[in-house]
Amino acid sequence: MLELKGLSKHFGGVRAVDGLDLNVPRGEVFGLIGPNGSGKSTVVNLVCGLFPVTAGQVLLRNEDITELASHVRVARGVSRTFQNIRLFGQLSVWQNLWVAQNAIEHRSESFLRRWLGGPGRAREEIDRILEFSDLSGKRDELAGNLAFGEQRRLELARAIVAKPALLLLDEPAAGMNAEEIDQLDARIRKLKQDGLTVLLIEHHMELVMAVTDRIAVLNFGQKIAEGTPDEVQTNRLVQEAYLGVAEAA
Amino acid sequence: MDFYLGLAQIVGVHTLLGLSAYCVLLTGQVSLAQAGFFAIGAYVAAMLTVLAGWHIAPALAAASFVAGATACVIGFPALRVKGLMLVVATLAFGEAVRLFFFNFDYQVAKGEVKIGPAGGEGFRQIRFFPENGWSTLDVLMFIWLFVALVMAALWWMDRSRAGAVLRAVGEDEVAAQSAGINVTAVKVAAMTVGGLIAGLGGGIFAHYTAHIEHAQFGVALATFAIAYPILGGLSSVFGTLIAVVFVQGFLIEGLRFLGDWRNLLFGGLILLAMNVRPRGLIDAATIAAIKRMRIRNREPGNARTQGVE
Amino acid sequence: MSYLQVVDTLQSIADGVLFGATYSLLGIGFTLVFGVMHKINLSYAAASIGAAYASLIILSVVKAPAIFIFLLAGIAGGIIGGAIYFVCFRFIPQANPLATLMSTVGALLLIDEIIVHATVGIPVPYPALFSDVIVNAGPFTLRGDLMFMFALGCLSMLLLLGLLYRTKLGLATRAVSQQPAAAQLCGISIPRVNGLTFVITGAVGGIAGAMIGAAIGVLSPLLSLPLTTKGLIVTVIGGLGSIPGAIIAGLLVGGFENLFQYFRGVTERDLYVMLLLFAFLVFRPGGIFSPAAGRN
Repeated sequence: MLELKGLSKHFGGVRAVDGLDLNVPRGEVFGLIGPNGSGKSTVVNLVCGLFPVTAGQVLLRNEDITELASHVRVARGVSRTFQNIRLFGQLSVWQNLWVAQNAIEHRSESFLRRWLGGPGRAREEIDRILEFSDLSGKRDELAGNLAFGEQRRLELARAIVAKPALLLLDEPAAGMNAEEIDQLDARIRKLKQDGLTVLLIEHHMELVMAVTDRIAVLNFGQKIAEGTPDEVQTNRLVQEAYLGVAEAA
Repeated sequence: MDFYLGLAQIVGVHTLLGLSAYCVLLTGQVSLAQAGFFAIGAYVAAMLTVLAGWHIAPALAAASFVAGATACVIGFPALRVKGLMLVVATLAFGEAVRLFFFNFDYQVAKGEVKIGPAGGEGFRQIRFFPENGWSTLDVLMFIWLFVALVMAALWWMDRSRAGAVLRAVGEDEVAAQSAGINVTAVKVAAMTVGGLIAGLGGGIFAHYTAHIEHAQFGVALATFAIAYPILGGLSSVFGTLIAVVFVQGFLIEGLRFLGDWRNLLFGGLILLAMNVRPRGLIDAATIAAIKRMRIRNREPGNARTQGVE
Repeated sequence: MSYLQVVDTLQSIADGVLFGATYSLLGIGFTLVFGVMHKINLSYAAASIGAAYASLIILSVVKAPAIFIFLLAGIAGGIIGGAIYFVCFRFIPQANPLATLMSTVGALLLIDEIIVHATVGIPVPYPALFSDVIVNAGPFTLRGDLMFMFALGCLSMLLLLGLLYRTKLGLATRAVSQQPAAAQLCGISIPRVNGLTFVITGAVGGIAGAMIGAAIGVLSPLLSLPLTTKGLIVTVIGGLGSIPGAIIAGLLVGGFENLFQYFRGVTERDLYVMLLLFAFLVFRPGGIFSPAAGRN
């Protein structure tokens, strides 16, 4: 589904991402972990098109999307959530989802219907997503007035409105309590069941180990390990990256 | 009575000006160029009726189109300029348009008299309405027909997906981009629609004042254009209308009660308004409250269970 | 072009650059407020003219030598600047740029109207210092009043730069402009820094207003809108937030303005200044010295 070839991003002298090769197979939940500053969020920004790459390629279903603008990538099937929630606070929950209907199926509707039509036609589809995200009762609430957990759910809901094939989740569990994380786990599994491919950036190790099929570990912009959750947990390099090297006695 | 009809005419035209800025402001672009598009509409419409003998309806359509096309062209470089720099760039554009008309001389001889725009002196004798027997009331209804149409169109847009998309772009361009919205297209489209509406307003303005000159289309008018939607609140087109009524009513009608002090008080009033109600007269909270009142009134039995949100 | 034309052209550029020191000061005021608060104070030029008016009043009361009028204008400007901060920015949520923009418009209208009321709409003569001093340098004539203005402008800029880079207040101001949250955590009071920024820029603006009055010889409320436009153009050409940019851009605009006037006359002059701005916006939208752009 997603392939990164020699992906690099330099900010002046800082190599945030350095020659990264990655292959995320279709239908998998793929974890991307690493210490702070290892370049995980930058990878997401490069894949979804917010930052231009310094070098390398981003391939989606074997198609090179490296030069495509952000909104075009959404039409191709890439959606993301933000680490710091970026909802449209002055719009209602419903409107937040409505504006995100930008999949190819949506775009092929007639111009007048899509832009000047009332909320009626989109009701069914969005209501389904509201239910999936447990937000059905909050449809007309301003997004800025929601509780934190509800905002996180709306952030995820907005990302799936555009019917993505690849979903990039940037630290979706940050700030959540145990119950909310369990619900997130269930939702990610359900999305995987529906055929989505998920790239999960996370610090919350329990969630990552529980829900992912494979994991890649980054440090200083480079991949230092890759494998199943068990393999990665016991990898010495990974342990050193997170915990440091033990001093020689 | 004629005085109030005149006031209603001004309110109508200024509402169009304010609505043109409303569109653009929704996308987060603060444009001081609306007076420039207004001026273009005024001169184009006037030249078509006076020099080319057109009827006012097609003249207005053409004026609106030219202004809208100019706005579209301006819209693209405007994208490269963010935030407050856009304010300056659009201010400069508006001034450039005014200066252009200040120097614009295109006079045609009709009989022994020369008519047409005459640079600093302006464009006199725009007499379509009197020459065709329109009364003040006729003109007034003509103006408000357009105002009603534009307001209805924008009100509908606000309820549709287009309105939500415009506002999303205005709130957070990065999030909008990532959700799949073509931010460039949206911003240019908003600028274009703003230009169309301003051009229409300008064309009407030229005909009911019968004499236009560059000084009318300066920074002051540009500032009024954005003042109306800001003071009225960006949550509803009616906010802009109410702001125009209040401002023009205050400035013109207030002459009677406050005399020369009205301009002084006007500045002070704006200061007070922005400190007390920064989101404008009609903001999102007000609209939510109105909605709740209407729901409560419609289902009297449930008033108790609605509760206070 | 003949020799005389070359001389005249250079003369007009020189005169323009000398006058441009005024634009530099106005540009600095706009750009400093933008740099610290990321807001534009549209009432700035009007406040500067207002301070010049105030200095006239104070001078007639205090009866000091005319040269003190610049100091008085600076003081008046500082007070007005502080007042503007208080009514336009102190209480309006900073997250609402439209409201603060609009409030500065209100302040501009208020100041203009106060001036009109106080002077009954009649332009008021301003002491033109050194206007009778002419220095001849070869084929060129250097007007004494313009040179004095230029010197005064340079002095003001040096004082301001000294304040910003050699004092604790200046350090605090620069800290707030770069990282307001961190600055607060270091114990810097943001409202105080912002307020003081307005007082300082107000003082600079007052001096600029006095300089303009001295150069033209008259003060009129009609000056405020064109000066606002010119000041903003200088700010953008110089790069929003950059003081050296504003300085150079002010001199640039002053010089070009006079050059345009020499070739095309007064009525077309301003049109070309706009075109100059557009040229910059197209080829160098960040301005002469665009401040470093941060990460996304």
